[in-house]
Amino acid sequence: MAATGDDAAAMDSISRAPTTHSAALNPAGTSSGQGECPVDATEAAACAPKRPHTNSDGGVETAEEAVEPAEPDINELCTDMFEKMAIFLQGELTGTCEDYRLLENMNKLTSLKYMEMKDISINISRNLQDLNNKYASLQPYLDQINQIEEQVSALEQAAYKLDAYSKKLEARFKKLEKR
Amino acid sequence: MSSSESHPRFGQSVKGLLSDKVGSCSGDVIALTRQVLKGSRSQELLSQAARNMVIQEDAILHSEDSLRKMSIITTHLQYQQEAIQKNVEHSKNLQDQLTHLLK
Repeated sequence: MAATGDDAAAMDSISRAPTTHSAALNPAGTSSGQGECPVDATEAAACAPKRPHTNSDGGVETAEEAVEPAEPDINELCTDMFEKMAIFLQGELTGTCEDYRLLENMNKLTSLKYMEMKDISINISRNLQDLNNKYASLQPYLDQINQIEEQVSALEQAAYKLDAYSKKLEARFKKLEKR
Repeated sequence: MSSSESHPRFGQSVKGLLSDKVGSCSGDVIALTRQVLKGSRSQELLSQAARNMVIQEDAILHSEDSLRKMSIITTHLQYQQEAIQKNVEHSKNLQDQLTHLLK
């Protein structure tokens, strides 16, 4: 009985499925040595004996692979760890992304400003061209004004001469009147 | 069964080794990420570019202000040109009168 139990335990370590399958097919065939392990296949995996007993091999301490299923909170902890690591790495990379976004926004605002300045410049250019054309059309009038200014100067000279002549005439008249 | 773990350390269990290994791998990934960011020098270049743009902003605002003033001055010139146009049309009569006077 004990030997059968040891052989079944040894079979467990090699492959679990054939053991559970055979256990499921031969429920009556289980000996008392395997009374510890129930026949059900799902429970056989749950109550597989722990194997992490150490072997001493040439003075070096070794350990065997754990065959029991992992504790349920380990998975959660691992998931939590990897999620937080992902968040941390994403945060490291987000800094550079935010710098790029800042530069992009600054460039967009500057380009908008330059577009406004371009519109203002186009308006100024158009207005100045119109002004130049209008001032060019005023040129004959400006020439007339120059002629008017010359004529007014000539008129002023003539008025001075007339004034001087009239004063001379007045002096001669007064002289003649005294005689 | 013999252990399938490689390089077991004296006095440490498999769980301890595993947790150490996971910790060192995490640290390596983090260090790698930081080295990649540091080697690209993106932080320095981008902050330098932002600083230069802030310096240029003053010149840009000054240019915009000057352009707006030019636009206002152009508008005033247009008003003055219209006033001149209106008054210069009288000069023809003036010139005729002066020519007649000086004859």
